[in-house]
Amino acid sequence: MSKNIFINGKGFSFEGEKTVLEVARENGIYIPSLCYHEKVGPANKCRVCVVEVDGMKDLQTSCSLAAADGMKVGTTTEKVLEAQRMVVNLLLSNGNHNCLSCEANGDCELQDAAYYLGIERPPFVIEEHKEREDSGAFILRDPEKCIQCGRCIEGCNRLVVNEVLDFGYRGGHTEVVWDNDMPLDDSNCVECGECVQMCPVGALIAKKGMGRARRWETKPVRTTCPYCGVGCQLDLHVKDDQIIRVTGTEGAQPNMGHLCVKGRFGYDFIYSDERLTTPLIRENDGFREASWDEALNLVAGKFTQIIEESGPDAIAGVSCARSINEDSYNMQKLFRSVIGTNNIDHCART
Amino acid sequence: MDTTERGTRIQDLIGKYPQKESAVLPVLQLLQKEGGNYLSKEAMEVAARELGCSASRVYGVATYYSMFNTKPVGKYHLQVDTCVPGFLHGADDIAAHISKKLGIEPGETTKDGLFTLSKVQDLGSCATGPVVQVNDRYFENMTAEKTDQLLEALKNGGWPDNDTAMKVVSKCGILLNDRSRKDCRTLALYKKNGGYQALETALSMKPEAIVAEVKAAEVRGRGGAGFPAGTKWSFLPKDDPRPVYLICNADEGEPGTFKDRQIMEFNPHLLIEGIAISAQALNSAKAFIYIRGEFSWIADILETAIGEANQAGYLKHVDIVVHRGAGSYVCGDETAQIESLEGKRGNPRVKPPFPANSGLYGCPTVVNNVETLSSVPYIINNGAAGFKEIGVANNYGPKIFGVSGHVNQPGIFEYPMGTPLQEILEAAGGVKGNLKGVIVGGLSVPILTAEEAKGLNLDYDSCARAGTALGSGGIMVVNDTVSIPELALRTIEFYEHESCGQCAPCRKGTHTIKSKLRDLVMGRGKSDDIDLVLSLCKNIKGLTLCPTGEAFAAPVQAMVAKFRAEFEALVKR
Repeated sequence: MSKNIFINGKGFSFEGEKTVLEVARENGIYIPSLCYHEKVGPANKCRVCVVEVDGMKDLQTSCSLAAADGMKVGTTTEKVLEAQRMVVNLLLSNGNHNCLSCEANGDCELQDAAYYLGIERPPFVIEEHKEREDSGAFILRDPEKCIQCGRCIEGCNRLVVNEVLDFGYRGGHTEVVWDNDMPLDDSNCVECGECVQMCPVGALIAKKGMGRARRWETKPVRTTCPYCGVGCQLDLHVKDDQIIRVTGTEGAQPNMGHLCVKGRFGYDFIYSDERLTTPLIRENDGFREASWDEALNLVAGKFTQIIEESGPDAIAGVSCARSINEDSYNMQKLFRSVIGTNNIDHCART
Repeated sequence: MDTTERGTRIQDLIGKYPQKESAVLPVLQLLQKEGGNYLSKEAMEVAARELGCSASRVYGVATYYSMFNTKPVGKYHLQVDTCVPGFLHGADDIAAHISKKLGIEPGETTKDGLFTLSKVQDLGSCATGPVVQVNDRYFENMTAEKTDQLLEALKNGGWPDNDTAMKVVSKCGILLNDRSRKDCRTLALYKKNGGYQALETALSMKPEAIVAEVKAAEVRGRGGAGFPAGTKWSFLPKDDPRPVYLICNADEGEPGTFKDRQIMEFNPHLLIEGIAISAQALNSAKAFIYIRGEFSWIADILETAIGEANQAGYLKHVDIVVHRGAGSYVCGDETAQIESLEGKRGNPRVKPPFPANSGLYGCPTVVNNVETLSSVPYIINNGAAGFKEIGVANNYGPKIFGVSGHVNQPGIFEYPMGTPLQEILEAAGGVKGNLKGVIVGGLSVPILTAEEAKGLNLDYDSCARAGTALGSGGIMVVNDTVSIPELALRTIEFYEHESCGQCAPCRKGTHTIKSKLRDLVMGRGKSDDIDLVLSLCKNIKGLTLCPTGEAFAAPVQAMVAKFRAEFEALVKR
């Protein structure tokens, strides 16, 4: 049954169990939020997504407030905006939230909130300095930009279940720690980069793209990861035919945005000079370039010759882990039905 | 301890809990003790392995609680409580004296590795301040001379006696007993005075009848919120297959409050009988006493008393486990306490769901304060009507008030609800000097000026009408020698130190207000800072994840608004 809520005086219908934030987003109404992420649900930590609800004394967090039939919600009342400004000011007043050369510029939920609230600079500044942590091969940590939303921790523990990240310390000293608060490179972190993808600000950065393009300069190109047969969906963020960074495609099966270290960070090979672009046939001490037809004819001829001389069991096949399941299936079909041997395996087993 | 013995002891600790990870705090406490009052990363890794949880999870817990020393400390860790009550009792002088004597600043260790000095937040010894905690022992009523004796004794490997003297008056004689008797804690004496008769009555009653009696008595929760305990009990779902847990909140950490420990330390069987009756009423077979970690010797007393009660056959229906906290004010919040009991950081949960439906391990749970549960035997013995003969309408029963600060005889006073503040202050020997203000319900309630405090009665409703709250009944008396900006700074320092850090307004708000108040007190503040502090307090109210998160807003706002001239006078011209 369809229900209605009123946001800023306008009615919106919705079905089933939804939060106020979900209904607002579906209808293009922006409510600033920082700690909420649809993959991990409400965290109730940032207190930025508050709204005023008729009949409720205090402001309510829209990320966790169930939308109810007939509910009247205000997202832009003075009380709401004053609270939101205060929280965003508090977050901006500590650390170093300088957008000028921040990697997240243009793709930062704190920046979005500040822009929406018209905050140019916080009215007060609390000096504090925290060192960047640069030990990771692919991930840079900048605690001065961290807003302790906990999304990286949720991603690490609940989504990819690597259980490396957690909050350490307390109060104003609360920090995201890797294992026993050790450098990233020494920790059990496999650098899958889920935390980077979950980070709403520029506190966790993919190092490979640093300084090469701002977010609006790149175009996303959706593709399937070439590494293994899972078929993870990813977006290549490309500028001038160069991949600047890679993200998992949110909401798309099979990976729902998750990637492994190879899929997210291991794309350099496509630019390698050593990459094969045409078949090569070994002759004398070296290789010479050949056409596909010539190469395939040569292989087919050699197979036929070996089968005639030594029988089909003199041949074995190893399917490549980067092939999709269907190709691996065809490979074994070729070996069993055409060549006539059961000598078929898969490189992930060897 | 060799590794096999250690492993056995860890398994014993794990065995006390329905779920393994609940043993995180006790296991870390064991390993810290073994490590000479130091919890190394290696020890944390041992804990993670034994408990089957991630290294970061254990590290997150160890660095959350202030009693875990994740950096080495000296053989004797001298911890001076300089929170508001300590401050009023001159604790700063003791800290300065130790500093001078040992040649170290707070946070430093003497070269010989013997002493580390720290300033710590409220130790729950408000009337007997200044208090110095040395490792797990308290030394109260400290003076410079006694501090010298303490240091000398420690150097020689001995422990001097602790001076716990304070005024104790029990007008009601229900919650407090005669502590001057050496056998005051024993089951024999408790029984001789009629103890455990209420339990015997209760065991013959239907659980619903006990709940009905407590509900009829209208006993309001003594932890601070004043919510009727019987009503809280009646929220438990009916005919639910899940186990019900009863948690006794003994995490007494509200500055100015030191009442629960009086019951637990000197009259432990009263609390145990209260828990046993309540467990029968709630059909709970497992109860926990969550006691603040600093009260380690009181936890021992409780364990001994539970052992006695068990042996006498009083606890056949319920297993009571004493669980020691590890230094966190926020764990006094019921949902944070549940998280902590599950072996996690003490971060409060979002409500709903409420603990009655989904509390400890997701099961129906009731969390009641020590004083509340200790009122239950009297209700059973005398009926709701008997209980309601004490106190005033809507505020029934006895209440323990703690008085600290500028009175001539600080101490503990058991009086009926609704007793005039003036009467309690007189019982405490009267105000020392000229009264400037009084905080009547622990640090989280707004200060009253001397004028506002006139004619105040100490019950929930009267205090609310006066624009403050009865809270825990921890009364702190402030005379005119005290600078209110300094008091406000002490106040926010406490909340900043204790913030769990989970939600932004509390984490960053306390930090920012502390910084601004410190600027003002140091004479480098601007007049805008005063309004900024007020505006932050106003907006943070109602915005935090838990009630504890905004607890500083009302008191700080009251101090600034009511004594604004003192803040203005500090502004840099």
